[in-house]
Order: sequence, then C-alpha cells, then structure tokens
Amino acid sequence: MPFEALLGAWVATGLTLFILTFLYKDNPFFKLAEHLYVGVSVGYTIVKTYDTVLVRLIYDPIKEQGEWSLLIPVGIGLLMLARYFPKVAWLSRIAFAFIVGVGAGLAIPRIVSSYILKQVEDTVRPLLYAVEGGGTTFTVDLTDPASNLNAVVLLIGVVSVLFYFFFSVEHTGPGRAVARTGILFLMIAFGAAFGYTVMARMSLLIGRLSDLIVFADSRYGRPSIWLLLITIGLLILWTSRQTERSPDGS
Amino acid sequence: MTFAERMLRIDRRIIFLLIGLCTLLPLLYPVGLAIKVSPEVRSVYEKIETLPEGSVFLLSMDFDPASKPELYPQAIALLHHAFRRNLRVIGMTLWLPGTGMAAEVISTVATEMGKVSGRDYVFLGWSPGGSSVVINMGQDLYKAFPNEYFRHEPTKDLAVLKGVRNLRDVSYVVSLAAGTSGIETWYVFGKDKYKFELGGGCTGVIAPGLYPLLRSGQINGLIGGLRGAAEYEVLTGLKGQAMAGMDAQSATHFAIIVLVILCNSFFLFIRHSRKQSDQR
Repeated sequence: MPFEALLGAWVATGLTLFILTFLYKDNPFFKLAEHLYVGVSVGYTIVKTYDTVLVRLIYDPIKEQGEWSLLIPVGIGLLMLARYFPKVAWLSRIAFAFIVGVGAGLAIPRIVSSYILKQVEDTVRPLLYAVEGGGTTFTVDLTDPASNLNAVVLLIGVVSVLFYFFFSVEHTGPGRAVARTGILFLMIAFGAAFGYTVMARMSLLIGRLSDLIVFADSRYGRPSIWLLLITIGLLILWTSRQTERSPDGS
Repeated sequence: MTFAERMLRIDRRIIFLLIGLCTLLPLLYPVGLAIKVSPEVRSVYEKIETLPEGSVFLLSMDFDPASKPELYPQAIALLHHAFRRNLRVIGMTLWLPGTGMAAEVISTVATEMGKVSGRDYVFLGWSPGGSSVVINMGQDLYKAFPNEYFRHEPTKDLAVLKGVRNLRDVSYVVSLAAGTSGIETWYVFGKDKYKFELGGGCTGVIAPGLYPLLRSGQINGLIGGLRGAAEYEVLTGLKGQAMAGMDAQSATHFAIIVLVILCNSFFLFIRHSRKQSDQR
C-alpha cells in the first residue's frame, strides 16, 4: 500500500469522524475539520486558478506564441482591482459594464428561448391539432396517445400555479378554487423535491460510511476503528472539561 | 406527560443513531433488493449503445468532491460503458474544485479498460468562464482548451480529437451536474445552438428541477442521484458503489417514512386530546 494512500485514508477517516461529531453537539473537533475543509478548498482553488489561468492560458501563449492580444482581457480584468484605490475606483465600472453587457447579451435570448418559449411550446403542443386548410385547433382527445391525460394535468398545473402568483386579482369565487388548485400542485412539487433531497442526503451518508467500512480494513491499518475510539475519547474528555467549567451545564 | 408527548420530545440524537444504523447495517450485510431501471436512465444507456465505434463522446463532470457519493459512481459507469463501446472519450469539467477528482476517475477507468490518453481519450481539465467555455467550445474547441490536462500536450495534435473542430462534431454530450454550471448550461449555451444530443446525470437535490427539460426533449435522458447510478450499473452489468448502497438507501427511506407517519400520528393524537380536554 503506497504511503500517500495510507495517509489519505487516515486523514479522510479522521476528518469524517470529526465532522460527524456535530451530531452529538457543536465541539472544537468539528470546528477544526470544518475550518480545514474551507481552507483547503480555497487554497486548492487559488492554486488551480493561478496554474490554469495565469500560467497556461495567459503567460505561456504570450511567451511561446507571441499572442499579445491576450493582454486586452488581462487589462480589462485588472481594472476590477481599481476598486481598492478610491481615486481611480471609477475605472472598475468599465470592467463591470463589459461583464454585465456581454453576460446579459449572451444569456437573455438563450434563456428566453430555452426556458420560456420551449417550455410553453411543450406545455400546449400535445393539445394542439393541425386542421385541414392550415392552422391549428385546441382540442383534447384522451384516446389519442399524443394528447394524453398527463398533458391535461400539466396544463391545469401550469395555469393554476401561475394564477396563484397573480396578485392583481383577488382570489375569491372561482379564482379561489383555481388558486387552491395551484397550491395543491405546489405542495406536490415541494413534496417531490423534499423526497429527492432526503435521498440525496442519505446518499452522502452512505458514501461516507462506505469509505469508513473500506478503511476499517487491515490493509490500511484499520483507521476507522482506531480513530473512532480516539474521537469518542476526545469527545468524552472535552465534555467532562466543559461540565467542570460550568457545573450547571450551561 | 403522555407517551405521545414524550415521543415528540425525544432526543434528536436517538433519531440520528437510528438512521445511522439503518445505513450501516445494510452496507455490512447487503440483502440485494431488486433495482428497476427507469426509462430516463435507459435512454442515456441506449443512446450510447447506438453510437458507432469511434464516435465522439464528451463527459463533462461538473461537480466537486461534496457530490462525490452520488456522481462519482455515475461517472465510473458511463466511462466504463463508453470505453467498452470503443468511443472516443473527451473528459472535462466546468467546476474548478472538481478538476483533480475528474482527472482521477477518467485515468483510473481508462487504465482499467486498457485505454491510452491522447489516442483513446483526452482529459481537457477546467477552463474559466462557465457558459462562455461552452460557447467557445461550440466555435473552436482548440481555443477553449489549447492543451490537454495531464502532459499539457497541444489538443490539436491529439489522435483522439482527429476530425473534431467544435461541439457540432461531438456525437453525444453527458453533463454530470451538482448545480450550475451544469446540464442547463450545456443545454442553453450548447445544444440549443450547436445541435448535439445531450443527456444528463445529477444529484438528487437538483433532479426535480430538470424533469421539465427531459419531458420537452431538451435532454434525452437523466440519471438522478445514487439511485440513477445504480440503475446504470444494472444496465452495464457493473457491480459498483451505487448498487452496494441501494439496500442502505431503501432501509433509510423506510425508516424516515415510518418516523414521519409516527410523528404525525402523535401530533394528531395530542391535538385531539387537547380539544377533548378543552371541551370538558
């Protein structure tokens, strides 16, 4: 077993157990693991960004291929740092204006097309029929697989939920029934989302416990068992010291 | 205090312990419950099955280590399938923190399957910009990624990318996403404009939000969470991490359903008792 694999197993096991101690209560071991996670993530991001962006995408092409035009985006990017110098802070607006302008120009047409037009088309298309002589008609034929019950349910759901969020009209009379149907659809959607979220969180737990089971193997020196005992011991020690300091438990 | 009131005030750590046991015991002693394959997962599998040998398959691993338990098994299963079908595989990521993990999964599976970097597959790594990267790849893949990740070789010299200029030359793209940038980025800025076939794999949390894209045909299939990964492993015949976790998943879901029913029953019972005592 290579040394780096062994070290990785021991560190991963220890940090996993330290994080899980939060289930007992907030403690310094959890905080240590939490701060390490944040620090390592930020450090990794800085190093990778430096290597990928500054070295491989800017420095190397300029040095090896003489692509001096890359200095234009570098210059625009550097303008953002002008915010730290009050006298020339206004220069940063040029960079932000460029980013907002290009971003909005790229995103708005594509998002309108993909999320609004395409979704509206998909909502009504199963209920539209071509008629002889051109044009379309809006009918429901439940015997036709292309115009199925799901399409009708979907249309009712979309219209009722949109009406529920339409506050210019008071939700009374028939409007109240439509709004309440909208709430029903929203509840079902929230339930489905919650169910999937529970599944996702359980998957994360399964992932960590699976690793702990693997690291309980003798090839790794059984870090799961040893570090579990050490973590429990540390937690008992910390709890007893806490109790000594504040006997009322507060 | 009645039994129902005591139960509703139970120490939350007892529930944590119960869920922990429901997860741990099936992992130690698996039962092997049946796994039914859903149509959305089968669609991704069948699309790869229909691709001719040598077709270009792009796997964008748009996740970081926080989503590893759900998306790593999906990546392994998809890469196994693509390499087995002798597709030319392009790996990349839109998530900077996931670069090292994505590089590890593609090189590990490729080594297992006897594939060579540069000839059978390439890992492009990460490039800044998110949606801009997808647009850039749609125009010129070599400008978006001038060098590959492992040895920094120029991408335009690689045999695996022969005949590939941009995303229009890619037969199938699958994005394994834990959020944004991910499947939606690939659809909005990629597929809609450059007309390639797109499939998705995602964490359970974002899966419900992606079903509208599936229904409208904006993506051809969706692998959702660990469950989706297990279904894909069933299709490929791979006995991986996801299938091993399904018994634990079922056990914890059962425990949570029982707890929800019990809590609601106790709550309703207490409310009914209070109403009765108020009437007296």
